[in-house]
Amino acid sequence: MADRNALLKQIGETSFTLDELRLYLDTHPLDENAMAAYSEHAARRRQLLQEYADRFEPLTCGCICPETNGSSETCTKYPGQKHWTWADGPIPWDTEANVCAKTAGAAKGGN
Amino acid sequence: MWTYEKRLQFPVHITRTCPRTASLIISQFGGPDGEMAASMRYLSQRYSMPCKEVGGLLTDIGTEELAHLEMVCAIIYQLTKNLTPEQAKTAGFDAYYIDHTAALWPTAAAGVPFNACEFQSKGDAVTDLTEDLAAEQKARTTYDNLLRVIDDPDVTAPLRFLRQREVVHFQRFGEALEKIKDNLDAKNFYYYNPEFDKQFVKA
Repeated sequence: MADRNALLKQIGETSFTLDELRLYLDTHPLDENAMAAYSEHAARRRQLLQEYADRFEPLTCGCICPETNGSSETCTKYPGQKHWTWADGPIPWDTEANVCAKTAGAAKGGN
Repeated sequence: MWTYEKRLQFPVHITRTCPRTASLIISQFGGPDGEMAASMRYLSQRYSMPCKEVGGLLTDIGTEELAHLEMVCAIIYQLTKNLTPEQAKTAGFDAYYIDHTAALWPTAAAGVPFNACEFQSKGDAVTDLTEDLAAEQKARTTYDNLLRVIDDPDVTAPLRFLRQREVVHFQRFGEALEKIKDNLDAKNFYYYNPEFDKQFVKA
């Protein structure tokens, strides 16, 4: 489970970096450094989301793939069985899905 | 078009049940300066916004506010999910419990139900963006008020994150207002309504 939470923490941090850069670029559309940072983090996020989906469950609808999504007992109530994976994993608003808050030291809100 | 991502923007992990705290934080769900009002305000204003970059910013901030709405609801949910009948009698939460049990329902901390008047969509780019600047500061003040009376570090961590986002959004809206003014007559920004008298707005 440590792996799952560590990966989720990385996805949260990379995604937040993109959230912050997106708003900044909305009002600074010619900032090349910010654009380069956006592309770099966007590639990283795609890679992390795919890894998470392969090992655990899909976090986005684009990652839903019943053939390749993780299907161990910790991910689903249908382990090893082909099934619709979108409902796998913890509920996002429950404590179980947010254990990374404890290990994260948690990302700051930006500036 | 929107799609859902199965995670919170910032993790919420609260283990101590506290209906009293939930009854205060609920203002940032359904109160006048809460996240629902913020999201719907920006997403309503964007359609008639004359500058498409500013319409884009309103979309992106309005979308982030939906993620904040979800975080605030997660905080309230986790503070009340293991409620005992005795805890349901907590002053400040008891009346809410009678009407909604432990479900989420948008209301201000003082008991006023959510009201669409909070959207503040006026149809004038200068007016609306000035409103948005004030809205971000009002939300920041509300988070400051909450942080002054709440001690649980599991609750204050996500509240601090949300407070900081208000400051960032204020900054971006300030830049958006300048962008709008760049397209207006510098001698008198208020001579025309840029959303209505479009023929006078520079291309």
